[in-house]
Amino acid sequence: MKNKKQIDFTGAISSIFAILIGLLVGLIVLMLSNYRQAFPGFFTILTGSLTHGMKGVGQVFYYATPIILTGLSVGFAFKTGLFNIGASGQFIIGAFGAVYVGIMFKNFGSVHWIIAVLASVLFGAIWGSVPGILKAYFNVNEVIASIMMNYIGMYAVNWTVKGYKPLFNNLRNESKNVAATAEIPKMGLDVIFPGSSVNGGFIIAIITAIIIFIVLNKTAFGYELKAVGYNRNASKYAGINEKKSIILSMTIAGAVSGLAGGLLYLAGTGKHIEIVDKLAPEGFNGISVALLGVCHPIGILFAGIFIAYLTAGGFYLQLFEFSTEIIDIIIAVIIYFSAFALIVKTMIAKFSKRKESKGSIKASGSEGGI
Amino acid sequence: MEYIIEMLNITKEFPGIIANDDITLQLKKGEIHALLGENGAGKSTLMSVLFGLYQPEKGKIIVKGKEEKIKGPLDANALGIGMVHQHFKLVHNFTVLQNIVLGIETTKNGILKMEDARKKVVELSERYNLFVDPDAYISDITVGMQQRVEILKMLYRDNDILIFDEPTAVLTPQEIEELMQIMRELTTEGKSILFITHKLNEIKAVADRCSVLRRGKYIGTVHVSETDKQMLSEMMVGRKVNLTVEKEEKAPGEIVLEVNDLSVMSKREGHTKNVVEHVSFKVRKGEIVCIAGIDGNGQTELVHALTGLDGISSGSIHLNGEDVTKKSIRYRNTHGMSHIPEDRHKHGLVLDYNLAYNLVLQQYFEKQFNQAGFIKQDAVNQYADLLIEKYDIRSGQGRETKVRSMSGGNQQKAIVAREIMKNPDLLLAVQPVRGLDVGAIEYIHKELVKQRDAGCAILLVSLELEEVMNLSDRILVMFEGKIVADLDPKHVTINELGLYMAGSKREGDSHEE
Amino acid sequence: MKKKLLSVLLSAAMVATLLTGCGSKTEEAAPAEEAVTEEAPAEEAPAEEATESEASAEGYELALVTDLGTIDDKSFNQGAWEGLEKYAKENGVSYKYYQPQEGTTDSYVETIGLAIEGGAKLVVCPGFLFEEPIFIVQDQYPDVTFILLDGAPHNADYSEFKTGDNVMSIMFQEDQPGYLAGYAAVKDGMTKLGFMGGMAVPAVIRYGYGFVQGADAAAAELGVDVEVMYNYTGAFEATPEAQSMAASWYQNGTEVIFGCGGAVGNSVMAAAEEAGAKVIGVDVDQSPESDTVITSAMKLLSNSVYDGVKAFYDGSFPGGATTTFTAANNGVGLPMETSKFEAFTQEDYDALYAKLAAGEVTINNATEDSTTADLTLTNTTVSFVE
Repeated sequence: MKNKKQIDFTGAISSIFAILIGLLVGLIVLMLSNYRQAFPGFFTILTGSLTHGMKGVGQVFYYATPIILTGLSVGFAFKTGLFNIGASGQFIIGAFGAVYVGIMFKNFGSVHWIIAVLASVLFGAIWGSVPGILKAYFNVNEVIASIMMNYIGMYAVNWTVKGYKPLFNNLRNESKNVAATAEIPKMGLDVIFPGSSVNGGFIIAIITAIIIFIVLNKTAFGYELKAVGYNRNASKYAGINEKKSIILSMTIAGAVSGLAGGLLYLAGTGKHIEIVDKLAPEGFNGISVALLGVCHPIGILFAGIFIAYLTAGGFYLQLFEFSTEIIDIIIAVIIYFSAFALIVKTMIAKFSKRKESKGSIKASGSEGGI
Repeated sequence: MEYIIEMLNITKEFPGIIANDDITLQLKKGEIHALLGENGAGKSTLMSVLFGLYQPEKGKIIVKGKEEKIKGPLDANALGIGMVHQHFKLVHNFTVLQNIVLGIETTKNGILKMEDARKKVVELSERYNLFVDPDAYISDITVGMQQRVEILKMLYRDNDILIFDEPTAVLTPQEIEELMQIMRELTTEGKSILFITHKLNEIKAVADRCSVLRRGKYIGTVHVSETDKQMLSEMMVGRKVNLTVEKEEKAPGEIVLEVNDLSVMSKREGHTKNVVEHVSFKVRKGEIVCIAGIDGNGQTELVHALTGLDGISSGSIHLNGEDVTKKSIRYRNTHGMSHIPEDRHKHGLVLDYNLAYNLVLQQYFEKQFNQAGFIKQDAVNQYADLLIEKYDIRSGQGRETKVRSMSGGNQQKAIVAREIMKNPDLLLAVQPVRGLDVGAIEYIHKELVKQRDAGCAILLVSLELEEVMNLSDRILVMFEGKIVADLDPKHVTINELGLYMAGSKREGDSHEE
Repeated sequence: MKKKLLSVLLSAAMVATLLTGCGSKTEEAAPAEEAVTEEAPAEEAPAEEATESEASAEGYELALVTDLGTIDDKSFNQGAWEGLEKYAKENGVSYKYYQPQEGTTDSYVETIGLAIEGGAKLVVCPGFLFEEPIFIVQDQYPDVTFILLDGAPHNADYSEFKTGDNVMSIMFQEDQPGYLAGYAAVKDGMTKLGFMGGMAVPAVIRYGYGFVQGADAAAAELGVDVEVMYNYTGAFEATPEAQSMAASWYQNGTEVIFGCGGAVGNSVMAAAEEAGAKVIGVDVDQSPESDTVITSAMKLLSNSVYDGVKAFYDGSFPGGATTTFTAANNGVGLPMETSKFEAFTQEDYDALYAKLAAGEVTINNATEDSTTADLTLTNTTVSFVE
C-alpha cells in the first residue's frame, strides 16, 4: 500500500515540475513579445479564471469537460498498452450520434438527453473498436488505423450532416440545433456557477474518471486489460483472451471519446457540427491531458481542469496588448512542457531506482520530494 | 602478482539494507576469478559499482594500479572493462553485426563502413570459435547464439577485463564446454575474467580463484584447486547443501498426458519444415519425464503446442483422458495443467505488475479472488503472503514489489510457487532452474520431487545433463523435432545421453512405450 | 460565403492543434496585427504608457470580436476591422479586437463580455454567427452599443427577433454588386459567363440573380446573346469537384466565372489559372489572391462599419434598425481601380452605379426559388447545373 502512494507521488511531482518549466518558458515568451506587460499578463494567465467570479470557474469546468474525457480515453488506452490517437474521430462521431438523436427523436421527453448521450457513447465505441479489431486480428498498428479513422470520421460526419436535410442548417453551414430536451441538464451547477456554460457534463466526466479508475484498479476486467498492455505474451500464457482485451480496450476508449463529443455538442452553448475539413482539436488535446496526468484517471481529471484553466486564463490575456497568436503560443508552450511530465517521471524513477534497489520506501519517497 | 582490478572495502548501502558490506575483490591479470553467491548476495550491486552505476559509500576502486572514479559504463569501457549481462542487451530487430558495432560504428563522411567491422567480427568469431551469422537478426537466433554476440561485442571493443554474468545459464552442455575453452584461451592472451556464477562445476572446471559473497558480506577468497564443491556451497549458502536430489523409486500411475503424432510447422516465414515432427509420448502420474536435447531442437515449440500458446499442424493432445487439442489456454490452465515457462520475462510474468498480482496471474478470475467482477484485494494479498512465506520469495517490498525489480531467482521462485500451488495434475517445467543458485536449485528440485511423490505428472524440459540425470524417471531425447530416444536414466551414462542429444546416436526412428 | 477556409494543411493542422490547445489559427500575419494594436494606444494616449496596468484598465473603446476566422481572413473580419481601424485612427480612439475560444454562442457572448470588460463602448460583430449572441448581449449590456454585420439578432430557435436600441444591424443588397459584375462582364465583351455559388442561401442567390440580370441587361443593350452556366456547389469549400467543374466550363468556352461562395472562389481561381481564364471575386476585393480575378462583387464592409462607428460618435446611431447598405449609401460596388476591364470604363461604371443608387434599376431578388427559373430574361439563356 505504501508503495502505491509512492508512485502517485512521483507522478504528481513530475507533473508539477513539468508545469513549472512550461510556465517559465511561457513567461519568457511573454517577455520577448512585450516585456512591459509580461508580468501582469503572466499573472492574468495564472489567475484570470479566478478573477471573474464563479462564472470564470464554471467556464474552466466547461472547457475541461471534453478534454478530460478525451484525456481519459487516451490515458485508458495507454494503460492497456495502446496509443489511441483516434480520439478526434471518435469524438466527432460521438458528437454526431448525440446530435442525430438530439435533432431527430423528439418524443423521448425528459430522458431525451440521456438517450442522446448514450448514442454518442455507442457511436464512439463503434469507431474505437475498428482499430482494435484490426490490431487484434491483423496486427495493424492502432496508431495508423486510428489516424485514418480520424479522417474517415470527420469526412463521414461532414458528408452526412451536409447531405441529410433534417440535420443541416444550410444558412450557417452547420448542424441544426438539437431539441431543448436533448440538452444536458445543468444539474445544479448553474446555481453554483451562474452565467457560465458549465453543465451536468462535467459531473458525468468526473464520474467517468472515477469509473475508469475503479475498472482499471479494482476489477478483474481491468486486471486483464492492463496485463495485456504490459505483456501480451504473458497474458496469453495466463489464458487471457488478449485479442478480446485489445478490442474491448479500444472500444471503451472510443466510447469515452464519443461521450466527450456528445457532452460538448449537447451542452446547449450553441455548439454545432460545422462543416469544415478540420479534425476536432479536443482529440489531440486529450493526448496532452493524458500525458500531463501521467495516464492516471484522477491525474487526468486534474490535468484537464488545469489545461482548461490555462486556456481560460489565456483568453483573459486578450485584455493586454498581446496578439492572439502570441497567446496561443504561450498556452501551447506551457501545455507542451507539461506533457514532459512522463519524461520527468521516468527521470525521477531512474534517479530513485539507483538508490532504491532492494531498499525500502522511505528512500524514493524522500527523493521524490526533492 | 599484479592485480588488474582491486575493489577495496566497498560498502554500498541502500536505505534499509546494506547491499555490499566491506567487500574486497582483487582480480589478478590473466586469471579467471569466480564470484560466487546466492541470488541477492550482492554480486550484481558490486558489479554495478564497478560499472559506475552506483557510487559506493566507502571503499575505492583501483584499476591497473591507479585509483579510478568510475562514473558510468562509458568510463568502465574506457578502462577496458566489458560485461556480458545475464539478460542480454541486444537490439532484436538489428542483425548480429549491427549489434556488435552498435555505439562504436566506423563511419566515413557519416556513412557506415560496415566492411571493416564485418572483417573484424568474422576474424574474431573464427579465432574464438564463436560462429554466428553476422547477417542474422537477433530475434531469429537462439539464446545461445545471442550470448555469443554479447561476447563478440566485448571482444570487438578490445576489452581486456571481461565480466561474465552467469554466462552458462542458457547454454547446452557442449556450448558450456566450448565457452570454458574460450575463456581459457582468452586468459592465455592476457585477458582477465571475472566469472559470476553459482554453478560449482564450472568454477571447478575453469576458475583459478573464487570469492564468495553471502547476504552482502564478503566471506572469503579461495584457490579453487585447494577446495571442493561441498565447501564452496557451504561458503555460499552458509549451511550444508545436498547437491544430489534424493528421490525414491515410485511406480507411475495412470496416464495424465498423452500426445499422439503431434507435428508443428515452423512459424518463420518461408519455412515449411516441421519443427516438431510426429511426436508421440505419454506422461503418467507420479513420474518425471524429462525431455532432453540441445536448445532449438523443437522443445519450445512442443511445449507451446501442449499449452496452447501456439497452434499445431496435426496430432492430438489428451489431458486426463480428455482431448484438449482444440481447447483454449485457459481451459487447459484450469483443468490441471501448470506451466513453468522457458522465458520467465516473456511469458511467465507481467513485470510491471506487483508480486501479488503475478501470483494470481491464472487465478484472479476464480471465486476465491473475484467477486462480481471486482478483485478481492484482501484475498489476493493473503494468498500472496502465504506463497511468499511458504516459498521464501524475497523482495524489497513484499507483495507490493514490482516484479521487474526482483532478482531472477526470486522471479523464478514466484513462478514455481504459483504453478505448484495450483495443485496441477500435469506440470510442464521448462528449464525451471535456469539462472538460479545452488540453494534455489536444491529447493526447486525438491519441490518437483515432492509434487511427483504427491502424484503429479511432470514433464521437464532441460538442457542440463546433470539435472536430467538427477531428476528424471524417464528421458526422452529430442533431436531436430523428433523424439530419438526413450531412455531410463539408470541405464544410460551422461556421455551416451550427450551423443543422443547431438544426433550421432539414435534408438531407431520412433520410441516405444 | 464569408466562411473563411480553415486550415487545409492537415498534417500541419494536426501538429498545430496538438500544441495550441484551441483550434487552428494557422494563418501568419501576426506581426502586422501586433504592430497595429501596439501603436494604437501609444499614439492616441501617450499618458497611458506610464504603466501597463493603466493601459489595460482604461481599455479600448472600440472593439471587434472575430468569428471563427482570424482578423486577416480577407473577408468579414478583415473588412470590418479595416473600417473600424480607419475611424479609430482618424479620430484617435483606442481600439482592439478579441478572439473567442470556440465557435459557440456562449463563447461569443463571453468574448463580447471580455471586450466590454476591456473598456469597449462599441463592439463590432462581423457575420451572422453573431445573431444569437447579440440577441443575448443587447439586453445584458444595455449601455454598450453593437454593430452586427450581415444579420439580425434572434434567439436560438428563430422564434423571436429583436434588434435593441443599442444595436445596429447591417445588411447588404447583394443583388446590386452581382448586377454590377454581370453587367460589366458583358459590357466588357464577354458572352459566355458562369456562376458558381456555394450553397443556395439567400445571400448567394441574390448575388447570382443580380449577376444574371445584370448580364442580361447589358446583353440587351448590346444586342448580343449571352449564355450563363449556373451552379451551387453545395458547400463553401474549395473542393476538387468544384475545380474540375470550373475547368470543364472553361474548357467549353466559358470566359469568366463568378466564384461566389467563400473558398469555392479558390477552386474557380485554380481552374482559371490553369485555363488562362477569368474570375469574378466576391464580398471583398479578391484581386490580390489571383491574377485571374478581373473584378469583385463587393460588399464595402469597411465603409459600412466606418459609417456605423461614425454615426455612433456623431450621436446619430441608428439603433434598433436594420441598415441595408446598397449603392445608394455607397455600401456595395466593384473595385474599379484594381479591375482588369478592357472595354468597360469607369464612366460606364459610374453611370450604372448612379442608376442603381437612384433606384432606377429593378432587380428581382426573390430567394424562394434558387434555380433562376423565375427570372424573366431577354437575351440570356441560363443552363442550370444541378
